[in-house]
Amino acid sequence: MEGVSYQRFPKVKIRELKDDYAKFELRDTDASMANALRRVMIAEVPTIAIDLVEIEVNSSVLNDEFIAHRLGLIPLTSERAMSMRFSRDCDACDGDGQCEFCSVEFHLRAKCMTDQTLDVTSKDLYSSDHTVVPVDFTDSAGYDSSEQRGIIIVKLRRGQELRLRAIARKGIGKDHAKWSPAATVTFMYEPEIHINEDMMETLTLEEKQSFVESSPTRVFDIDPNTQQVVVVDPEAYTYDDEVLKKAEAMGKPGLVEIYAKEDSFIFTVESTGAIKASQLVLNAIEVLKQKLDAVRLSEDTVEADDQFGELGAHMRGG
Amino acid sequence: MMIRLLTMSRMRIFEVLRLLVLGCNSLAFVKGLTTLTQYKIEKLTSLDGIHTFQDFVRGGLIEYLDVNEQNNALIALYEGEATSETTHIEIEPFTILGVCAGLIPYPHHNQSPRNTYQCAMGKQAMGSIAYNQFSRMDSVLYLLLYPQRPLLTTRTIELVGYDKLGAGQNATVAVMSYSGYDIEDAIVMNKSSLDRGFGRCIVMKSYTAIYQKNYENGTSDRVLRPQRTGPGSERMQILDDDGLAAPGEIIKPNDIYINKESPIHTTGQRVPADGQQDIGYKPAKQTFKGPEGESCVVDRVAFCSDKSENLCIKFIIRHTRRPEVGDKFSSRHGQKGVCGTIIQQEDFPFSETGICPDLIMNPHGFPSRMTIGKMIELLGGKAGVSCGRFYYGSAFGEASGHADRVEAISETLVKRGFSYNGKDFLYSGITGCPLQAYIFMGPIYYQKLKHMVRFSSHYSSGPRVMLTRQPTEGRAGNGGLRVGEMERDCLISYGASLLIFERLMISSDPFEVQVCRKCGLLGYFSHMLKRGICSSCSNGDNISMIKLPYACKLLFQKRASFENPFYLNEFMDTFDW
Ligand SMILES: [Zn+2]
Ligand SMILES: [Zn+2]
Repeated sequence: MEGVSYQRFPKVKIRELKDDYAKFELRDTDASMANALRRVMIAEVPTIAIDLVEIEVNSSVLNDEFIAHRLGLIPLTSERAMSMRFSRDCDACDGDGQCEFCSVEFHLRAKCMTDQTLDVTSKDLYSSDHTVVPVDFTDSAGYDSSEQRGIIIVKLRRGQELRLRAIARKGIGKDHAKWSPAATVTFMYEPEIHINEDMMETLTLEEKQSFVESSPTRVFDIDPNTQQVVVVDPEAYTYDDEVLKKAEAMGKPGLVEIYAKEDSFIFTVESTGAIKASQLVLNAIEVLKQKLDAVRLSEDTVEADDQFGELGAHMRGG
Repeated sequence: MMIRLLTMSRMRIFEVLRLLVLGCNSLAFVKGLTTLTQYKIEKLTSLDGIHTFQDFVRGGLIEYLDVNEQNNALIALYEGEATSETTHIEIEPFTILGVCAGLIPYPHHNQSPRNTYQCAMGKQAMGSIAYNQFSRMDSVLYLLLYPQRPLLTTRTIELVGYDKLGAGQNATVAVMSYSGYDIEDAIVMNKSSLDRGFGRCIVMKSYTAIYQKNYENGTSDRVLRPQRTGPGSERMQILDDDGLAAPGEIIKPNDIYINKESPIHTTGQRVPADGQQDIGYKPAKQTFKGPEGESCVVDRVAFCSDKSENLCIKFIIRHTRRPEVGDKFSSRHGQKGVCGTIIQQEDFPFSETGICPDLIMNPHGFPSRMTIGKMIELLGGKAGVSCGRFYYGSAFGEASGHADRVEAISETLVKRGFSYNGKDFLYSGITGCPLQAYIFMGPIYYQKLKHMVRFSSHYSSGPRVMLTRQPTEGRAGNGGLRVGEMERDCLISYGASLLIFERLMISSDPFEVQVCRKCGLLGYFSHMLKRGICSSCSNGDNISMIKLPYACKLLFQKRASFENPFYLNEFMDTFDW
């Protein structure tokens, strides 16, 4: 049975790439694909986060659960997460934290001995595995490293003490947001802006100026030389329709026409630092593939063809 | 106590009022405004130490007016509005309101009952109660884990210190419909926000144990070192060697928190001090009866003595809770609503800048409530976060600059790349397609109210009243809730009358009675003859057995006891005997 092929070949163009930030274009695909990628990045790319806290001494002002919650939200470097096992699937251990396949142990010991308030931060967490450590923000962000001391957990005054053992495990954002590697993952449809030049020429300079200013974001500008309205940044357009309303109010409907290109998306990905933004995208694609494997039918099942008909052929890439 | 002398010259009345509680005092400038030079006003407003506020009160330039005096005064809101008739000028209009109403941003834009509701609700909001909150031994204490300062503040908030001890959190709210779990003021919450600590609270409850020292016969209670092995020891895991629960231990329902024993005999002949060991003791352990499946922690144990000089041991048991479906939330505009559902972040709508709301509120909450103040709060909050300052919404504050105007807020929004009307272009998190409408989205200060479903849900298989065999009344005594006539009518009108029969009779309290078909009165079952007997006919020839609720049988007997019985044979045609 020969089905029609719906296969498309999406293209990715990277615009900007930093450790914790990525901006790229995704073309020749549709919203379902773009959204699947976004959803997987938020909820299903695994990372490592503290999941179990055993408190030995805690005389701080915050109670045990409070501190455990704060510890859980500290991002840990998770390059290893993809190859690690989920604690519940691990057959090498009983989840006691001693297992190298599924857990990483942390220790924290802090006691304030002076009259100055002691800040206990993520830097005070000692890991049993040098590949899984609290994310260090000092180098990449360009802050003064002497000042920036990691994520604050609790503050201690003289005599107060905090001693604990914590176990970090692999998990996904769907179970708890602490395992989500994404700070921000969002996309927009690429806008296509056409200026009706003939109509624009009929406007006076003031009218052009007020037209340009009607957009809350800087999409248009006036060329200082030619005094023509030009599109400076189409992606700054937030689909707010303000310029369209303005054109209508000026009695010039159709002065500009703005469409959303339904097959190109501009992605913005910010990572928590657990994994690099680029790796986040790649891992998301990997996870998405694994999910598709689960629904893909094997090549030779005849019953499947009877059951799913054309859909089966389609899924086999026919 | 305070005595007020009131003269009303126009009516030639002189009143002496004795006020037990201070009346509602309002501050106002006296009429002698002409004598109050600009210099003096400056001195007052700067409070430079030369003139204090009290100097002006003593000098008669400022007067405290109570409600009765206000009836006889003509008060102008602003200096410019004063005429020759005016007796007083308000120092600042927002001082008309007290603490509760002072927390509401833009209250003068709301329908007045909404402000009234908020005044009642603000007291139920969880937050920080005082700087010594962790040293107190309240019987119940609700605290918020991460209380915040409202983004949209008022001058009153600063004056009363609500910005330091807040009772809520700034939530990014999208006003839109989502999922159908948002009807009737329910709100849809973002699971990731809850994971990150939104609306988390600590509930601390105090449990008391009394260590009775001096019984009538000179004996006293004793607290024993717990058994570490053997039967019953598993319930004593959290006890220290002193027999008291140790702070920091996780306590489960049925765990013992004090291993106490009381003497069997507490009265009678005095037991000498050296004979105390020989007397018999009975266990008087106290067990924790918290809700099943919740992990509570012993926070603190405190000792004190009560009024009769007995040692009193207080256990503070703490429980950290995250919001769940049914928990009550409210903005500062009398708009309470329960959490209808909790939805994953990836399913939530998002903007192209990556903003994803913390909660979704249904727009139907607005038209009938007319809480315009809430809308302005959203706009102002959004402008506030985008430009990094706190916006103000004091009551009647636009004229005096204590409230930001919508025009100014909109200007800031446009400057920061938002639409002037506070609406955003959002994408559906489920499909990835743009939503059909622009969504009004921004931060609103939300309070978590003290009613939580876990404590409100109630079922009973508890005690019954002996006479009626009905459950006892009230939740406190673990009693039942009444299914009254109106509730019954709901079921009938729905067409579920068989359900009533099943619930109120079969599964409730069925009772078998013997009825005489001839005289229609209740008989009895004779165990000797193994059959029913009618006492009025003195035979058992026409006896039938029927089932009815016990309370119904009680009613028949009561009626019969005042010589006005039901004759059940009248219903013989209606029912199949
Ligand atoms: Zn393992
Ligand atoms: Zn009879």
